[in-house]
Amino acid sequence: MSRDDTAPPRPVRQPRVFTAPPPPPPPPPPSEQPEVLRHLAGRRKGIRWGALFLSSVGGLITMAIGYSAYRFVEDLFARQDWLGWLAFSLAVLAGVAAISIILREIWGLSRLAKMGEIRTIAERAIRQDSASDAASTVGSLRSLYSGRRDMAQALTSFAEYDREIMDPRDRVKLAERMLMSELDRDAAGLIARSARRISILTAVTPAAVLDVLFVGAQNLVMLRGLATLYGARPHLLGTIKLTRMVVTHLAVTGSIAFSDTVLQHIIGRGIAGRISARLGEGAVNGIMTARIGLAAMDVVRPLPFETLRRPSLSSIAGRIGDVAGTPDEDGPEQSQDATPHGTQPQGPAAGALVERDASRIP
Amino acid sequence: MARSTLGKLTDRGLIALSELADYASAFGNPSLRLGVTGLSRSGKTVFITALVHNLLHGGRLPLFDPQAEQRIIRAYLEPQPDDAVPRFAYEDHVEALIGKDRHWPESTRRMSQLRLTVEFLPRGQLARRLGRNRLHIDIVDYPGEWLLDLPLLDLSYEAWSAEMIAASRRPTTSAHAGEWHALLTARDPQSPADEPLAVKSADAFRRFLIACRDDQVALSFLPPGRFLMPGDLEGSPLLTFAPLDVPSEGTPPKGSYWAMMARRYDAYVRHVVRPFFREHFSRLDRQIVLMDALAALNAGAEAVSDLGRALTDVLLAFRHGRANPLASMFGRRIDRIMIAATKADYLHHTSHDRLEAIASRLVQKATEHAAFAGADVEVTALAAIRATREAEILEDGERLPCIVGVPQAGERLGNEYFDGEREAAIFPGDLPDNPDDALAGAVEGQVRFIRFRPPMIDASRWDLGPSFPHIRLDRTLNFLLSDFLA
Repeated sequence: MSRDDTAPPRPVRQPRVFTAPPPPPPPPPPSEQPEVLRHLAGRRKGIRWGALFLSSVGGLITMAIGYSAYRFVEDLFARQDWLGWLAFSLAVLAGVAAISIILREIWGLSRLAKMGEIRTIAERAIRQDSASDAASTVGSLRSLYSGRRDMAQALTSFAEYDREIMDPRDRVKLAERMLMSELDRDAAGLIARSARRISILTAVTPAAVLDVLFVGAQNLVMLRGLATLYGARPHLLGTIKLTRMVVTHLAVTGSIAFSDTVLQHIIGRGIAGRISARLGEGAVNGIMTARIGLAAMDVVRPLPFETLRRPSLSSIAGRIGDVAGTPDEDGPEQSQDATPHGTQPQGPAAGALVERDASRIP
Repeated sequence: MARSTLGKLTDRGLIALSELADYASAFGNPSLRLGVTGLSRSGKTVFITALVHNLLHGGRLPLFDPQAEQRIIRAYLEPQPDDAVPRFAYEDHVEALIGKDRHWPESTRRMSQLRLTVEFLPRGQLARRLGRNRLHIDIVDYPGEWLLDLPLLDLSYEAWSAEMIAASRRPTTSAHAGEWHALLTARDPQSPADEPLAVKSADAFRRFLIACRDDQVALSFLPPGRFLMPGDLEGSPLLTFAPLDVPSEGTPPKGSYWAMMARRYDAYVRHVVRPFFREHFSRLDRQIVLMDALAALNAGAEAVSDLGRALTDVLLAFRHGRANPLASMFGRRIDRIMIAATKADYLHHTSHDRLEAIASRLVQKATEHAAFAGADVEVTALAAIRATREAEILEDGERLPCIVGVPQAGERLGNEYFDGEREAAIFPGDLPDNPDDALAGAVEGQVRFIRFRPPMIDASRWDLGPSFPHIRLDRTLNFLLSDFLA
């Protein structure tokens, strides 16, 4: 039931009034069929031999390391007392660090999974107009962003509206508009900056090997930045998992996303390529990065795109050439297309925040 | 019925001409004609006032997309465009609502009109370049009784008489019809015309209609609306006719009493109903149908099905369908219809779904018809001005969802009378899960919706927003207006 905005100040004489109508039957229980979360359904059952093998080997290795460390410390104690103590405290430190790394990874993974869960519930709330799902979505979003200074204002103004009577579907949509619009803008800026950096560096690096390394590293940084921006904080394992999710998502949706813009990018590459092969490669790499970034947005955004528009590949591709000043032929006119959507004004400033956020976490 | 077909063709021609003129003069900055449809006391005036006030003052409309995207620059009232029609007394209505003795506006007695202009920033780059940034919204307010005339456009005098007489012989209404029924049998319709009797009979007929309306039992069975609310036709000869007991397919003999009555009925349709329809209803872009389902539920199953019947008949007179930019040069179609069950603040929001179900069940036939023609139809529980707040009250270990507000003076619940000053929490009862139960009368005596006074507007509470509180007004506006403001 709804939390009442103004708790009744004078409930004293009211009972007499409302007892007057004939006693109503109790409200019927809501008939909502529980739906199994899609990403939990269809899991494989039975013994996973590969996993068993890997974990047992891993266990053996851990034991070996632990055992040799133990022996080593013992040896040192036998030789010199202070050496032993030093080694012992180092070993304890290492152990504590290892445990906190593991905890952090687990936490990061669960955060990542939580994003998907929120999105599934939000989609269900919109589809079925169900009040409990909408309440759970809003609650999760609130706890997800409650600690963030950059979201404080959006959360406050959202809370103001949240008390009003509105349909569950509209509530989720309102949450998207009020909480996601700034984040989407920052995300688009982040993607565009990564893509720009990649296209410039691809164009100027001398060796192909360096290209590959750089593109890979920059993409990982971008993925992590995006996930951090939307509230998941993946670390090593989380980033690996995220990469896998993004690649899967790209494989599923790639062909669709590709077909609508393929023509202009091939043409754009052709013109850039005529000027220089390296520039053409840079453009292609940049666009590829933008596509990866957009796919990552789908994966890490806790709400589906309902009221807000998904940034389009061409609006981001337009911005690649926009500021970098690379003589991309398709730059200028597309950037004009991109500006009216209001994604620019705070792009760089807000983006700085993202990078700071991302770099704070080692 | 050749005469009616010809009249319709003339109508369409006139409509098309004025449409073309409108289209040419408004090129670039289109206007939107919003049809606020509803029987009397359904809340038309309050809805229009709340809509205008919220847009003028930038009210809290989080679900109204253009406002949420901050694309609305300003809104203002234009000078009255049509010199023949009085202006909607917006300021007086606002004064009535927020003044010292706050009360709902008086029921509308004549027609009035308002033009609201919204300046906005279009979404698309092209529209911005073209300078398309203003939308005129034309709204008409009129006595709800007149709406009941619209079905008469398709009825001959004989068919109308037969329906009227059948309706007046129902058990709920026949009590009021004694005087008129006596006059009905006083004279054979085939006999020569008799003017004094016609006047007398029309008088008795009008008294019967007014008694029915005041009784709130059968307020909506195709009476000529001007009999109930004559407006500027008070005492006009156009209103001196009444139904006669004649065969519904027959033709009147020349010079007979019947022929005279039929002629006057036709004159009423031609001079009153048709111009009213042509000038105000035939050129709508959007329509909102307001219905006070709660009052009907208060009155019982008969009133509920009566309301459904009347609204369905009225709605079938409109032109619904997909809008076509080329065809709209000559005649518009209504492409979005919002069915709104008004006064949703008289019950707890947990019951709104059921209220919506009842509302959509009531006009199901008409909305199916409109949806088939290609129009979008939505149903919502609406309170254009929210007069209550909600509370849960623990009674015998059960949490009752109640509403809290100041009931109007003279309202009564059980033995409790209200003086219009003190606040009370009221549990109005539960609506049935299945809307058909409401039509079948299962809730009779189990629900009681109390009317509340308008809310006290506290100007010092900044967090309440700069306009009236409401329930789902923003969603309604979004459905009706947002694509014109894109």
